[in-house]
Amino acid sequence: MADTPATVTLTIDGREVTVPKGTTLLKAATEAGKDVPHYCYHDGLSSPAQCRLCLVEVEGAPKPMPSCVTQAMDGQVVRTESELALDMRKGVLEFYLVNHPLDCPICDMSGECNLQNYVHEEGREHGRSREPKRVFGRDDFGGDVLYYGDRCVMCTRCVRFMSEVEQDHRLTVVERGSRSVIDTFFEEGLEGTHWHGNVVDICPVGALVSKDFLYKARAWDLTHTPGVCPNCSQGCNIDLHVRDNLVQRLKPRENLEVNAFWMCDYGRGNYEWINRGDRLEAPLVREGGSTRAMGWKDALSRLLAGVEGASGKGIRAVASPFSSNEDLAALRALVDEFGGGEIVYRSARAEDEIVLKGFPTLARRRDLAPNGKGADLLGMKRVGGDDATGGLEGVAGHGGIVIVLGDALADQGADFGSAAALYVYLGGHGGPATANAHFVLPTATFAETEGTFTNFEGRVQRFAPALDAPGASRPAWLVLNALVAERTQGEVPRTAAAAFAVAGTKAGPFAGMRYDEIGPRGAVVNETVSLSGD
Amino acid sequence: MAISVKVLDRPHPETTSYLRASLKGMALTFRHIARRKVTQQYPEDQTDLSPRWRGTHRMEVHADGRPKCVACGLCPTGGPANCIRLVGGEDDQGNRYPVVYEIDEFRCIFCGMCQEVCPVEAIHVGRHFENAEYTRDRFVYDLDRLMEQEHPATLLWDPSDPRSE
Repeated sequence: MADTPATVTLTIDGREVTVPKGTTLLKAATEAGKDVPHYCYHDGLSSPAQCRLCLVEVEGAPKPMPSCVTQAMDGQVVRTESELALDMRKGVLEFYLVNHPLDCPICDMSGECNLQNYVHEEGREHGRSREPKRVFGRDDFGGDVLYYGDRCVMCTRCVRFMSEVEQDHRLTVVERGSRSVIDTFFEEGLEGTHWHGNVVDICPVGALVSKDFLYKARAWDLTHTPGVCPNCSQGCNIDLHVRDNLVQRLKPRENLEVNAFWMCDYGRGNYEWINRGDRLEAPLVREGGSTRAMGWKDALSRLLAGVEGASGKGIRAVASPFSSNEDLAALRALVDEFGGGEIVYRSARAEDEIVLKGFPTLARRRDLAPNGKGADLLGMKRVGGDDATGGLEGVAGHGGIVIVLGDALADQGADFGSAAALYVYLGGHGGPATANAHFVLPTATFAETEGTFTNFEGRVQRFAPALDAPGASRPAWLVLNALVAERTQGEVPRTAAAAFAVAGTKAGPFAGMRYDEIGPRGAVVNETVSLSGD
Repeated sequence: MAISVKVLDRPHPETTSYLRASLKGMALTFRHIARRKVTQQYPEDQTDLSPRWRGTHRMEVHADGRPKCVACGLCPTGGPANCIRLVGGEDDQGNRYPVVYEIDEFRCIFCGMCQEVCPVEAIHVGRHFENAEYTRDRFVYDLDRLMEQEHPATLLWDPSDPRSE
């Protein structure tokens, strides 16, 4: 077999494509720019070829072939849109609609439903079935999942996800023929599993829906913004689905290097804090006994004078691992510029990792913050306990300059920073511990700015702004870098790319990386030991 | 072209009689006394509305008083004027229903698309137009107010053939 070519060349809809040997017709068709409709096939799962929707006509084959399991062969002539193929699909879709309830107006999947799309594109205009449809009602699967049996097309993606990827056999098909439904074993349900939210994502119709998202928003009202999950250091690629400037849900975005197609239930359900109200909206400056809101220009010129006046007594800073690399690098640059000092950060640690057995490089990591690694690389020190409290004894009573970036200081009392010559707080929310602050500056959260996070393995990944920042909030990197630039008479980095370049000057691993070259899969920092081997 | 001034030969007040013109005018006036009157004594006399009239909205209700709306979101999507605000939710029987349903009758252009797209025949434009109010905010009709409307739905919609089949 030495002369077997590693690639095969075939013709799909009159177009010649060359694909690696072993590629399925469905993938080869994608290569040729044709999307073959399919339900049971999913890139991350096995192919049982049971939905019969991806049938295509292959010249020489006695009958249409399921393209998701048929391997491409040299010289094959495939037609995905011939009369026979279209007729087959039309027939299959009509069978699906025999029992599908067509309750699209109240179905959460409506607008992103594959049955809707396929029937609209290729199906019949009117059904011919006159029989009453079977009715199952809905079933609570436990966890965050509801099952509407009537809508199910029996693709068994959910069953295969639980058995192949999560490897916890919780779902199965019971009964046969038109009576078949997905069910759980006894009363066990999906309760207690950590990745079951993914079955809602992979369900091609509205049979499995999220309880949290139930009836909340229509799919077409949501704007999708690519982001990075902020709930642990794995850095899963996500889409933030936003309506009315509020995050409505988080959905995983494909990145085979990090999270494949999946994300954990912990990360998925933990988004309400992004929407928290009562935000700081204008720079607050303490003058004498009272606090006054003022514009950025006035606040920053006063701040620069204050920092220069107090810089002789040393700087202590508290950072947050929820801040982007750009924010942290700007803080590092500021601290270095005014004589240097220790920067600490606090982050919560979970008891243990939750590994996805079918894709073991993906886990809910112990570190429950997205950018602890970035802080480490920039020479910041983790302090405090596993619940992200304590550890600030050295800062709270410091007599020089105290800078807090992002940390809400929820566990600190009203005497925090009372001894400080200058106490600057940058964050989204005020609290008792900001009472002594000379400057309270409103900054934007990760969901409101562009930037990057560095995940546990040192992969730098970009995220885009999904929400509008409230009031006069600005990215922390813009504020901090403006101070540094004012002092050094340098240029203020006005873009996230320029702010990321500051990180390169402050930490070796970031050096040589360029913001616009990071790409959709992320880029691993230049460390001597790289865990991913990328 | 050279600019020229046209001098009109106007009647001179001292040498012209207006009697003939006045009689001509009065003749027209008296002719109208004999004609059919076009003035309507609104509001005592009501106008006949066109069969295609699309006026103030109304929300159909079920026998038990619940709105027929299932909060599918098609009316705010289909309408061009962005006048409907809808927030869906789940009621105590597990049904999808509108937690908030508001129509801003000022923003509305009465295109009737909301009625057109409604899959459950819940929202209608009506044969009604007299919705003057003393304050602007009263023109935002909430769900209760839409359900209370008593005027008939537009004749464009035939209740005996709700889907125009």
